[in-house]
Amino acid sequence: MGKWAITHIFASHNNTIITVTDMTGAETLAKCTGGMIVKSDKDEGSPYAAMRAAQKIAEELKEKGVDSVNIKVRGVGRGRSKTPGKGAQAAIRALARSGLRIGRIEDVTPLPHDGCREKGGKRGRRV
Amino acid sequence: MRYVKIPRDRVAVLVGAEGSVKNEIESHGVALDIDSQTGDVAIQGDDALAELDAEQVIRAIGRGFSPPHALRLFRENHYFELLDMRDFVGKKSKDVHRIAGRVIGKNGRTRMAIEEATGVNLSVYGTTVGIIGDARGVDAAVQAVEMLLNGADHATVYRFLQREKQRIKLEEFGLR
Repeated sequence: MGKWAITHIFASHNNTIITVTDMTGAETLAKCTGGMIVKSDKDEGSPYAAMRAAQKIAEELKEKGVDSVNIKVRGVGRGRSKTPGKGAQAAIRALARSGLRIGRIEDVTPLPHDGCREKGGKRGRRV
Repeated sequence: MRYVKIPRDRVAVLVGAEGSVKNEIESHGVALDIDSQTGDVAIQGDDALAELDAEQVIRAIGRGFSPPHALRLFRENHYFELLDMRDFVGKKSKDVHRIAGRVIGKNGRTRMAIEEATGVNLSVYGTTVGIIGDARGVDAAVQAVEMLLNGADHATVYRFLQREKQRIKLEEFGLR
């Protein structure tokens, strides 16, 4: 029986950041981002980059004796897109496929209970 | 265990004729508990991934997709994107209605043009626009719909779609 860990996946439009911590969330066990995988900036948020990043994470975790993870997915949130980007799904799928046991999947996108004024000014963003 | 709430008039679609759609979803490793009074759906599955996929499919059906289109989400590399038209024009139903018409077009012409060029399925339901397709197609379709919602000319969007169609085709043949 291996160890448990928390996998934090932050999937924005432009990048996917995967950080794995122990169950307290204080110690980082492994980290990988879309930008560490692909060369061009525009591909950092692509599902492919997220998939490769997740595979790399899974390998590192196996070395460290972790075999089951809980997943916390997060989109950009606050005023902007409330749903995680495409990288999230691809990463979760890749983690499951590489033999890690997935405990629970949780959405932890920060949503305001009507807090700060959104960026953009009264007349909105003018393109 | 996951919960989704869908509009009541979509509950019948989710269940299907004699439960056919429900059974189809449950064959992917989940059990559904549908409350047809409130539209609450509880998803119970053996593994979290199956629950996640089922949730997406149910949300898509709740946003106006037909079951055959929503079931595409069980396939690899298919994504579901939801745009709220109220984010673009405010909450007046008159404004939302006007802009929904722009996305659909006369006899669904614009909607069909987007679907044809990017290989996605599009559904305008209530105040939302739902998009189902593969990663590249969804990206292009979201851009096209956002252009329309922001008030771009239809001609501009058609031209944009033409260009995207070319690009997607090129990338398919490995010219990345």
